[in-house]
Amino acid sequence: MNVIDYKCPSCGSGMVFDSDTGTLTCRSCGRQDNIEQTSDPLGQRTASANEVHEYHCTSCGAVIVAEAETAATTCSFCGSAVVLGDRLSGKLAPGLVIPFSISKEKATQAFKKWCRNGLLTPNKFMEANRIKGVTGVYVPFWLYELHNKVDVQGHATKVRTYTRGDYRYTETDHYDIYRRLQLDYVGVPVDASERLNDQLMDRLEPFPYNQLKSFKTPYLAGYVAEKYSYTDEELLPRAKNKIRDYIEESISASVKGYTSTHLTNKQIDTRVKNTDYCLIPVWLFQYNFNRKIYTFAMNGPTCKVVGKPPLSKVKISAWFAGVFGVTLLALELISWSMGGGFL
Amino acid sequence: MRRQGALLGLGVILFFLLGHLLLPISFASADAGEKKLIFDKAKLLTEEEYAELNTMANEYAAKRDTDFIILTTNNDLNLDVVLITEKFYDTQAPGYDKPHGNTAILTLDMKNREVYLAGFYKAEKYLDDERLDRIRSKITAEFSEGNYRLGFEKFIKTSYKYMGFEPGVDPDNILFNVGFQVIAALVMGGLVVGIMAARTGGRVTVNRHTYENARTSGVVDREDRFIRTSVTKQKIEKSSSSSGGGGGGGGGTTSGGHSHSGSRGSF
Ligand SMILES: [Zn+2]
Ligand SMILES: [Zn+2]
Repeated sequence: MNVIDYKCPSCGSGMVFDSDTGTLTCRSCGRQDNIEQTSDPLGQRTASANEVHEYHCTSCGAVIVAEAETAATTCSFCGSAVVLGDRLSGKLAPGLVIPFSISKEKATQAFKKWCRNGLLTPNKFMEANRIKGVTGVYVPFWLYELHNKVDVQGHATKVRTYTRGDYRYTETDHYDIYRRLQLDYVGVPVDASERLNDQLMDRLEPFPYNQLKSFKTPYLAGYVAEKYSYTDEELLPRAKNKIRDYIEESISASVKGYTSTHLTNKQIDTRVKNTDYCLIPVWLFQYNFNRKIYTFAMNGPTCKVVGKPPLSKVKISAWFAGVFGVTLLALELISWSMGGGFL
Repeated sequence: MRRQGALLGLGVILFFLLGHLLLPISFASADAGEKKLIFDKAKLLTEEEYAELNTMANEYAAKRDTDFIILTTNNDLNLDVVLITEKFYDTQAPGYDKPHGNTAILTLDMKNREVYLAGFYKAEKYLDDERLDRIRSKITAEFSEGNYRLGFEKFIKTSYKYMGFEPGVDPDNILFNVGFQVIAALVMGGLVVGIMAARTGGRVTVNRHTYENARTSGVVDREDRFIRTSVTKQKIEKSSSSSGGGGGGGGGTTSGGHSHSGSRGSF
């Protein structure tokens, strides 16, 4: 059995995950099941080891249209929530999940509000009345715990100047410096989906880790979920790259108080302490504007929106002219107050 | 809509600023009651050059309430250039506001190849020794090369410009340069709009502390070993006030009792 559905034990209708109550809910009779206390249907079945190319809806029997990465979706014929069990078990079993906590309606409202706040976006775009598609997607992420031992050596100076008589003296104290830092980073997220733009996903951070739950498939009922396309080992370089700047900043912060510092030796030993496979909720918006489709992503729990909106040339010019005028005026006033005359 | 209104207002201000900029060019009025301000006894200028320069001197004089006078002499009596200037002022009694009034004089002694700049009354205050030194250093090269007309024109224009700055202010401060102001404003506009455009796609809101486990992270070992102190010394340059051409000699007082600023040098 590779396709899991959620039939209501009371009335037999399909159940979905309700973001407001955090329960598996039946829309027909209103039954609500606590997910953390019920056993996951995935655990009771042994997913078949061989790869499956076709899934059938358990409710209506239709073929489920799903891409290779899809792990959960809804049947396009009858609308039942289906979870593709073999894509969430074994090596592909997520350890953690942040469940959706706001509804589609609230997410859409938050997105519309964001559209209205753009300073450079065209007025037509701000009306936000051409939102084409809103999809709640559980995006696969690897969360890395990386422990770093950092050793740096270098040369630093402190410079003082003073005048005595007709001479200006410059006194330079030279130091040899050494620092050892322990830098542990927990939950560094790297998006493991092939489909979604990495830069877009990076800007969505941070995710509220206090809402992390042990993974159970009912959280996916009614949403789209993807499985990872890259393993944690494959994405380790990206994770290391993400913390690289943080390490550099920490090093500079540790050698403050000098006039100049020059590091001659730097050793960074990074160890992967732990990785978690986690599904993170993201709302995807398709916006049709001037016959072009713009894609935006929203951090499910925090409602932070990322994605490039169209820019209005008129507004850009107006802002440019405005800032130019104000700056010129301010400079004129400064020069005038200094006795330089007004132009 | 209110934003558009504000922008319109800004546009109007900008328009006036630009108008202000172009004003000096547009007001080239004809010679209505022109005063003689060029005294070219050494005959360094052609007829046309003289007329052109005299008209220009009159125009600029009106803007600063100060006569800009050019005096050239072959100095047959071999007098000191400062004395020539003072005698001229005492006897001719120039001045924009009144006889013996606001005057800036450039005297060219062709015999000893010396130049002297002097400022009387308002010009003494606004064109002090230091400013006259600066003007002289800007125009001396023209006289050395025989470009007299250009040198005189530069004297009038620079004096006019410097008199627009309050006394004690550095007139060459880059802040007062309109070109610099415009470029700075352009850069500012580009920067602000650029940042705004870059931020439309969503900002990165994580920093190095976001994922750091503060309990276990930090500096665990450090050493700052002092090695030595090195000392260098440098002689403090006294700012040399009079530059080039065997200059020197500031202002003074004429025998008629008129105090003035001055800058002297050869070319
Ligand atoms: Zn039911
Ligand atoms: Zn179906």
